[in-house]
Amino acid sequence: MAGALSLAWAVTALRPALLRQAFRSLSVTAGRNQETGAAVAATNIDSRKSPLILDEKFTDSNSIVVPREAWIETLDTNAASTQVGLIHLHPEVFGANPRLDLIHDNVTWQRKFRMVNYAHTKVRSEVRGGGKKPWPQKGLGRARHGSIRSPLWRGGGVTHGPRAYTTHFYMLPFSMRLHGLTSTLSAKFAQDDLKIVESLDMPSDEAGYLEQLCEDRRWGISVLFVDDSDIMPRNITLASDTLGHVNLMPVYGLNVFSMLKHETLVLTVAAVRRIEERILYHLRRPDLPKENLKKFTI
Amino acid sequence: MKQGSGVMAAAVKSLLGALSRVATPSYGAAVTAAAAARMSQGWAPLVTSVRHRYHWQKMEKGPLLRNYGEKEPLHNKGLLPHMEHHKRLPIPLFRPKNNWAEKRALFGQNDYIDILGPGNLHPTKTAYSVPAWLRGFKGNEYQMLLRKKKIQH
Repeated sequence: MAGALSLAWAVTALRPALLRQAFRSLSVTAGRNQETGAAVAATNIDSRKSPLILDEKFTDSNSIVVPREAWIETLDTNAASTQVGLIHLHPEVFGANPRLDLIHDNVTWQRKFRMVNYAHTKVRSEVRGGGKKPWPQKGLGRARHGSIRSPLWRGGGVTHGPRAYTTHFYMLPFSMRLHGLTSTLSAKFAQDDLKIVESLDMPSDEAGYLEQLCEDRRWGISVLFVDDSDIMPRNITLASDTLGHVNLMPVYGLNVFSMLKHETLVLTVAAVRRIEERILYHLRRPDLPKENLKKFTI
Repeated sequence: MKQGSGVMAAAVKSLLGALSRVATPSYGAAVTAAAAARMSQGWAPLVTSVRHRYHWQKMEKGPLLRNYGEKEPLHNKGLLPHMEHHKRLPIPLFRPKNNWAEKRALFGQNDYIDILGPGNLHPTKTAYSVPAWLRGFKGNEYQMLLRKKKIQH
């Protein structure tokens, strides 16, 4: 069964066209797909006798970096041991050069591009009143004025103040965002903050169980669980509901900011393979420069 | 002898009294007493206490209270101004932000949906809370107003 799983993933890695077709048919909010190998593996936790070895060779990669190796762990403390198997991670995704400048640019982009400034000040024409000349130009000995709402006056308009709905939108180049993801994943892995888990199935739905588990394994103050689908198992959903520092995310929600905000990143095997497939697809697509130059209009 | 000195002292005192009607300071009395004593044999120094407290006791009492009943507008004591008539303090209370509230814990989610998702969505299209004419656009005030007019009407 372990062999079948790795074979299936090897096939899909070599035939990106097949996989692309498959994913196009899926909507964003796909339900929990019971057909995936990882789910089948999960249901057979107790019945497995041999460890789950997912040692892919990644023969299509010309990276000089060897595949990264990681333990496959389990969230079930009743199991014989915490480690359940071994997985090979693609070097171009998890063994890339951790470009700190790209990570910084990505985080800055995520912070700024969504921001809308709603601050607004009135200009002298918008302030109520101030149409009449307050006093004649000459003869009074007073300073000459044309309106009581000029910026010189108290209560007058603001000359160069904020004007409502100022956006700070910009898009980082596609390759910068792509390599930001690979850099962050590689950095997380290199710093031992990346954990691979068989599946998110837990025996208990109590927050205390999850907290104790994270504490025992020294999984950091904050943990981000990432799975392939966006409908998570019942137990982990209930356990992490009250804990603000433990969060669940689907693969399409993964981003550089969240990966840095949470100390530990826990990926399921299915999530790892999905991330690898997606990132490798974009790294190898021939029309990437066109994607870069495309302007987004509504 | 004693009678003589007493008479002398009394004479000196009356002389001084004649000179000035103001109460003689104790210093003057001491001087006269000393003078009188010097004249007589068997001089015993006259000890007069000039002050009734030490300097630290005076300082402990505090400054002299003037204008009793008047409210002082400036605060010259303590770290924070006194709360009078339930006015707000100039420095606001520190209310730390909950960094693990849902919006902050999941900030940035779905920003890479065009890379990691199926590919039919873009992060600009997922900005539901932003007004329609502001999604994925940046310009100066004039350009924004033109766009708003175009999209809203």
